[in-house]
Amino acid sequence: MKAYTYLMAKKLKLEGPSPPKPRSQQPHWDHHAEVQAFSSRLHENFSLEVLKTAFINPCYLQAEHRRRQGLAVGAEATALALEDNVQLRERGESFTRSFLTDWCRASFPVLPSDGVESVAGHLAGSEVVTYVARNLGVDDLAMSADCPVPDDVLHSTFMAVVGALLESSGPERTGLFLRDFLGPQLIGKDLFDMWTVVNPMGLLVEELTKRNVALPEPRLIRAAGASTVLPLYFVGLYSNKKLLAQGPGETLAAAEEEAARVALRILYGYTENRRPLDFSPLQQHQQPLIQSISSN
Amino acid sequence: RSCFATSQWATFARSWFLIDARQQPPGKIATMCSVRLQGKHKPIYHALSDCGDHVVVINTKHIAFSGNKWEQKVYSSHTGYPGGFKQVTAAQLHQKDPKAIVKLAVYGMLPRNLARRTMMQRLHIFPDDELPEDIRANITEELQQPREIPRRLSEYTQEEIDAFPRLWTPYVYQLKATKWCT
Repeated sequence: MKAYTYLMAKKLKLEGPSPPKPRSQQPHWDHHAEVQAFSSRLHENFSLEVLKTAFINPCYLQAEHRRRQGLAVGAEATALALEDNVQLRERGESFTRSFLTDWCRASFPVLPSDGVESVAGHLAGSEVVTYVARNLGVDDLAMSADCPVPDDVLHSTFMAVVGALLESSGPERTGLFLRDFLGPQLIGKDLFDMWTVVNPMGLLVEELTKRNVALPEPRLIRAAGASTVLPLYFVGLYSNKKLLAQGPGETLAAAEEEAARVALRILYGYTENRRPLDFSPLQQHQQPLIQSISSN
Repeated sequence: RSCFATSQWATFARSWFLIDARQQPPGKIATMCSVRLQGKHKPIYHALSDCGDHVVVINTKHIAFSGNKWEQKVYSSHTGYPGGFKQVTAAQLHQKDPKAIVKLAVYGMLPRNLARRTMMQRLHIFPDDELPEDIRANITEELQQPREIPRRLSEYTQEEIDAFPRLWTPYVYQLKATKWCT
């Protein structure tokens, strides 16, 4: 036994770790059971055929086709009776984008449209979606050419799953699903991480002129260690002699910019102490999730 | 995350406090200094975190001991050589070096560990009002003096003196006639 383990360790050291195998090629895998389990784990009623097509990526079909051609069997025998998930993915993606934009607009009514688009784009973007998909087990079920499943393939598989849910249960339940799984990824995130604003002071001036408030005047509130290598300045923005916001910074310019950002966060209602978003389950007698939003 | 970075910078920055020691007891000045040099005035305090701030003490020449401590308080030291035990009163020491009393008081109030010398390096003592330019630029805020300075009689206006209530009528002692005073 010991000799065997030593030999295996030596082999590992020489050749490096073995390439990862997809879960479907590891023992104890039943695709139908896994798909059913996926559906019930999310407390959703998927129609299983649609869901199975949603997991099939075009790269997998191409790889399978090439493999079967390489086996040198006749063309009829190699025909795959599987469908792609491209259409489901397109429907899922467009629905996700529109739903997330509407939900962000409803949660933060004051946020301007490019802010809403950035937030929705971040939530529907590759990072967040692949993180959620990996933790929901979509990467085990997804059929793709290589392993581990690359990010863009995983993203399209998740969108196809959303499309499948849209077909099976309708837009309301799909909306709830997106709200419950992608919404909480906003928790702990700062607005300006998702939305790059180059000139916060200019944006603040615009917002204040729209609301007919006096223009902000920056004043130094506190300074520490000005002639050291670790200075700290607190700059406050006053409009009409009332404090709007104050922010810290390493230099005076950085502190002023941070103060402008803090003021924008307060104006748009995206502070850390805002009322938490509503994730309560939808009762039947409750009003629909998103009220019809009047055109801006 | 830029918001986290700026708030972290602000939390861990080292501030500079100014204390005016004019007519203040050096012990009370020293407690305030030691609290801020250790960082115990911050909620993020930990002994190993090096979270202390700088303290600048001015006007130490005009320090005020209460009671008879100027004559009775004794500062002892030994040069290490035989017969080298020296004892000086507070008044003599203050004459020789106006910064020493506050410095020794703060040194005795800091924890007896290796961080004490670093904290003493962050304490800046000046016998009078003049500060170098760079230290003056660094200062964040001035702390309130621990002792309320009482006013002299010459600093009261005549109206305030008249407005003060008469607590008793003073008794004027008359000299009685005796053999030797005629």
